[in-house]
Amino acid sequence: MDELTLLRNTRSETEPPESTLHRGRAALLAAASGSAQPHISTSRRPRRARRFAIGGLSTVGAAALVAGLVLTDVVGLAGWRGGADAAAAAVLDEASAAAITSVDQAVQPGQYLRVNTRGVHLSSGGIGDVVASYQYASDDTLYRPADPSDDWVWVRGPQSIAATFGPESEQVANAWWEAVSSSSGSFEAGDLLRAPGGAFYGGDAGAGFADLDQLPRDPYRLLNYIYRVTLGSGPSPDTEALVYMADRLRAGNVPADLRAAMYKAAAMIPGVTFISDQATLDGRTGVAIGRVEDAWGTRVDIIIDPDTGTFIGDREVLLRDQDGVPAGTAVRWTSVTSSVVDEAPEGGSVCGKMTVNPDTGQC
Amino acid sequence: MSNTDVGTDNEVIERSADEPGAFALLFDRHAPAIYRYAAQRLGEGSAEDVMSETFLVAFEKRAAYDLAIVDARPWLFGIATRLMHKHVRLEARAWKGMVADLAAQLSPDMIEQAGARLDAARLTRRLASALRGLPASDRDTLLLYAWGDLDYAGIARALDVPIGTVRSRLNRARRILRTAAGTNDPELEKEHGRVDAAAQHT
Repeated sequence: MDELTLLRNTRSETEPPESTLHRGRAALLAAASGSAQPHISTSRRPRRARRFAIGGLSTVGAAALVAGLVLTDVVGLAGWRGGADAAAAAVLDEASAAAITSVDQAVQPGQYLRVNTRGVHLSSGGIGDVVASYQYASDDTLYRPADPSDDWVWVRGPQSIAATFGPESEQVANAWWEAVSSSSGSFEAGDLLRAPGGAFYGGDAGAGFADLDQLPRDPYRLLNYIYRVTLGSGPSPDTEALVYMADRLRAGNVPADLRAAMYKAAAMIPGVTFISDQATLDGRTGVAIGRVEDAWGTRVDIIIDPDTGTFIGDREVLLRDQDGVPAGTAVRWTSVTSSVVDEAPEGGSVCGKMTVNPDTGQC
Repeated sequence: MSNTDVGTDNEVIERSADEPGAFALLFDRHAPAIYRYAAQRLGEGSAEDVMSETFLVAFEKRAAYDLAIVDARPWLFGIATRLMHKHVRLEARAWKGMVADLAAQLSPDMIEQAGARLDAARLTRRLASALRGLPASDRDTLLLYAWGDLDYAGIARALDVPIGTVRSRLNRARRILRTAAGTNDPELEKEHGRVDAAAQHT
């Protein structure tokens, strides 16, 4: 039994529905006969529903509800199933008001948007019979040029052991670090990447930066949009909606008006509660709102500076002891700082320390 | 299905030069596998589009197919993989979603065997998160191997890279996955072919 077998055992054995095959075959035959392709409907709902229901609305139910959703997101899951508790709604409204009045510093030609992301993550490993979890820290800085087709620079700071939980955990963490530091090809020990259009490691150019202009600024439509695009993912639509917002905010490039809309939209998510008005993350203090996710045994928090509406970061707090990690631990957190700078570091390559294939140019 | 006889993939493709409709045979043979691969990576919502588009692209490019190669699956999986690159964010989300779903499929027995004394949900979450963290080229390689059932040569053909590259990518991806799954075992550091080929999936 190894990791590949594990992965292989998670394979989907779902057969495509007959109607799907028919449509695909018809499209192909239409192309083959030289005629125009028939219109392929894209408004299908997932055939096999996921089997869990949390927080009063199952993914199945959501799928059924949204099946006929119009693209303007006027109708959807938002707004009629309750919302955040009163205290959370109040701080989110306040943060939204602060965000809308703040002005993002413009990135002038030749300048860069510099986004520094510091975080702690949970990992695990094994030595012989010993399997244990530990946390490691990361510190990454992305320089995004004013013209997104120019060179982007990604400084991957060296990772480090952030926390261990007992002797076995320490042993496993040390083994990880020894493996990382003894290999010259470990990006974990620090790396410098540079790629036109942000296509690091030969990936998609500027992933996560492209669609910001298209997201609705109306909080209600925004939330419907988020429910729609995340449908079928995550343990519950409501947690997934909050996670989606955290994912986007973490990129450090969400403009003030969209940030304001996101906070208001978060206030409409059922199950979102006020956590603390003195939440400290990486030395910065703000208000925290969060949502308990029973399926994960954790609570997902977003932390915001109430005075400016600036997104400070997000974290996931463990609610029960797990794998030797005590309840109450922030198993994962990220803190984000954005600024506009005149220069990016020099050097770096698309693949960094990863080997480049001379024939294909790929990493 | 009616079209059962009628030759190997390369013969079908060759025939489709004069007889375009014959290409549908290729669809009947391989569309379900492409669909499953896409559904696993992106969720079922987008699998149909990827499947459909894969065969349309393949059809347009059929003149470029190397007729010496009997099995067309690497070619088709390669096209599907490239098409899926349009869906990076969606893919990341699909993996978050797969976690709870797949946890149910991993029997406690398997978890025990894996030596990872973690509950199934935690384990699949880690796998999903490790998958998300891989560079795209490593991920493609790994998933073509694990979910697309291609061998090293097939992956090399699908991604248009030398076999040595496939091997090094797979090793790197497996190392990361192994750490995530907590299945470290020095025995597995050795390069061998399909380990645990008898793994059950029911």
